[in-house]
Amino acid sequence: MSEDRPATGPRQRIERLGAAALDGLAATGQLAGMLGATWRGVVRGRRPPGEVANQMFVVGNKSLLFVAVTLGFIGMVMVYQSCLQLERITGDLSRIGPEFLKLLVQDFGPTITALMLATRVGAGIAAEIGSMVVTEQVDALRMSGVTPIDYLIAPRFIACVVMGAVLTVFGVAIAYLAGGLTAWSSFDLNPRLFFDPSRVGFLDLGLGLTKTLCYGMAIPVISGACGLRARGGSEGVGAATTAAVIGSSLAVIALDLVISGVGLLLVGHGR
Amino acid sequence: MSAGAAPPRTIRFDDVWKSFGDKAVLCGMSLEIRPGEVMCIIGTSGVGKSVAIKLLIGLLRADRGEIRWGDLRLDSMSEPEMIPVRKRIGMVFQNATLFDSLSLAENVALPLRVHKGMRMREALAEARTRLDQVGMAEFAGRRPAELSDGMRKRAAIARTLTLDPEVVLFDEPTTGLDPVNARRIDRLIEKLSDDVGVTSIVVSHDLTTIFTIADRIAFLYQGRVHVCGTPAELRSSVDPVVQQFITGQSSGEMETPGF
Amino acid sequence: MTGARRAALRSPIETLGATAMQVAREAGGITLLAGRVLRCLVPPSMDGRELTRNMYRMGNRSVPIVALTAFFVGGIMVIQAGMYVRQFNATGLVGWGAGYAIFREIGPVLIALMFSGRVGSNNTAELGTMTVTEQLDGLRALAIDPIRYLIVPRVVAMMVMLFILTVVGDLVSIAGGMLFSRLLIGIDPSTFYYSLVDNLDWIDFVHGLVKSAVFGLSIALTSCYFGVSVRGGAVGVGRAVNAAVVAAAVSIMLLDFFLTFLLP
Repeated sequence: MSEDRPATGPRQRIERLGAAALDGLAATGQLAGMLGATWRGVVRGRRPPGEVANQMFVVGNKSLLFVAVTLGFIGMVMVYQSCLQLERITGDLSRIGPEFLKLLVQDFGPTITALMLATRVGAGIAAEIGSMVVTEQVDALRMSGVTPIDYLIAPRFIACVVMGAVLTVFGVAIAYLAGGLTAWSSFDLNPRLFFDPSRVGFLDLGLGLTKTLCYGMAIPVISGACGLRARGGSEGVGAATTAAVIGSSLAVIALDLVISGVGLLLVGHGR
Repeated sequence: MSAGAAPPRTIRFDDVWKSFGDKAVLCGMSLEIRPGEVMCIIGTSGVGKSVAIKLLIGLLRADRGEIRWGDLRLDSMSEPEMIPVRKRIGMVFQNATLFDSLSLAENVALPLRVHKGMRMREALAEARTRLDQVGMAEFAGRRPAELSDGMRKRAAIARTLTLDPEVVLFDEPTTGLDPVNARRIDRLIEKLSDDVGVTSIVVSHDLTTIFTIADRIAFLYQGRVHVCGTPAELRSSVDPVVQQFITGQSSGEMETPGF
Repeated sequence: MTGARRAALRSPIETLGATAMQVAREAGGITLLAGRVLRCLVPPSMDGRELTRNMYRMGNRSVPIVALTAFFVGGIMVIQAGMYVRQFNATGLVGWGAGYAIFREIGPVLIALMFSGRVGSNNTAELGTMTVTEQLDGLRALAIDPIRYLIVPRVVAMMVMLFILTVVGDLVSIAGGMLFSRLLIGIDPSTFYYSLVDNLDWIDFVHGLVKSAVFGLSIALTSCYFGVSVRGGAVGVGRAVNAAVVAAAVSIMLLDFFLTFLLP
């Protein structure tokens, strides 16, 4: 564990920073290559029959409760906090519902759902594939002439993209509903004022969809790469799972920043 | 070393039962271990040898039966009550169980710091002399992951001996080691018994080890002690199961689960 | 694979019941662990070396990731605020909006999620590996209580470190917000700053920090619980890490909800 040993001087620290940056670049390059390989696998690779449906079940159905609970609570909290602040500053809560929906659709819904999926599904993929690597099942696959990317990553990739979108829609609905109930019960806001989709435009829907699809592609590729890199027993599997959670969460946040930035520029040009 | 302070105590297993789920492992095992002797427990894999010694220091709990050490009832003690007992009865695990995050010296120093209130520096110095006794002083600064199995086991023995226990339990001390390292461990166990009067219970299926070091051997079969006696008695035993085990034949009277 | 198929065929009510039982068992186990940790803390006695070692390691591991996340989050908040600035021409409110959201909500929650992903899951993996290689039994055999020696220092270290990291993260996030608002929507850093300090109270900052300490405790307890209850080799360790991060995420969201209502 090299991170346990303290660096001795500023020079080493800078060197380490540089090395980390280079590692990051190299990793991004590898991931891009793997994304390409995964696409090839999706289009014309061999995979076990029924595996896509199976993975969809694992990614989708099994995350339903988790997404419902987390998005529901975060919806309530966000509306509560915003109402509290708006009441103090302007006293006018009538716009909160439509604005909240806009924010949910184009940013918070996809991003928070994806962060939850990075935690649940990303860790799951890395743990499963990592275990297969250290027990030499992946080598057995290679020996029988199948590439692990076609066989293991591609089905999970398809499942994550499709189910990620479905779960995002579900999560947005739950958060919106929970938020509306909070505004109604804690601030006596008329639900008819709250549930008003008029502020959501095509750009918001487009941004939300783009984010959802990008997250859905990033999570399985990053987690799969972490899983395939697992080495040496239970320690290796644990490390791979940790790396998958942190790598895919960070990717979600970075993608959010980039796509939102582009979105802001588009708004600017539109006006 | 001050192991002789307490009066010598006999260990008694009396009709001990233990099962995991619906799989019965020990079915009325009874055994007496006299102070100062080297008792070897042998038997096929999965027969409950390791379970028996883990019951003794409360890492596992017996379903019924009594386990006594002198006048202490070990089987009914709570986890906090077990602590003074574990200071007097040490155990060396099959895979050494050294802590990955600490160097060998720090591993050995740990019980000294926790139980004898030593400061880090004294504890490390003491740990070095302990490691020297098992011929591992030059590796004191290494992490367990950097060493071979035999080295790890020797360090684990040193760590267990820091508390000067009256009884030491060895779980497969020589399994997976090459013959040279295995004989080194054998000599360590013999020395403990001869020089300090430590009682040793050794679980093993390494026959060379057993016939070298044992004062008495208990042969565990179908959840109980099938035969118990000196190595010579066991060798000359006419019991077909014992003969089959000692001579290592695959066919015979012995019923092996899973075949 | 067949397991998942079979599960699909079970009735939804049965599945829900099984999930509820599982959650109840885990919540019970975590509560029990919390009680045992508490008993070791009154009066406080723990291994100082383990405490400092863990604090150093956890901080060292997570500072880069937390700083990076916080920086990005500052940018994201400003972009969101920027959409409205264009519309209402309200440049004076960006600092307030971003600061309020970061201090009270997004900062503590996102930093806790990242901390759970980095430190919590690492802790589960490490304790899990120690459990499957019998190192915990090894401690017990040396008459050392694993709770006191291993768990308590980790729990304390995680609480303290997440608190400190949230302070750092909040500040980095605000700095990121200032930078991005200058670059993307052309708001002067001083405008951003005064918008923030004029409209926000200390209480908003403290609100988030209290949350982070509670999140730290819950991440620590869940990650330790799932670590020490690992069964079955490498596969078990992977599963435990997965279960631990999921449980931590749920408990962060739940606690966030209750704390929001309870705290001023």
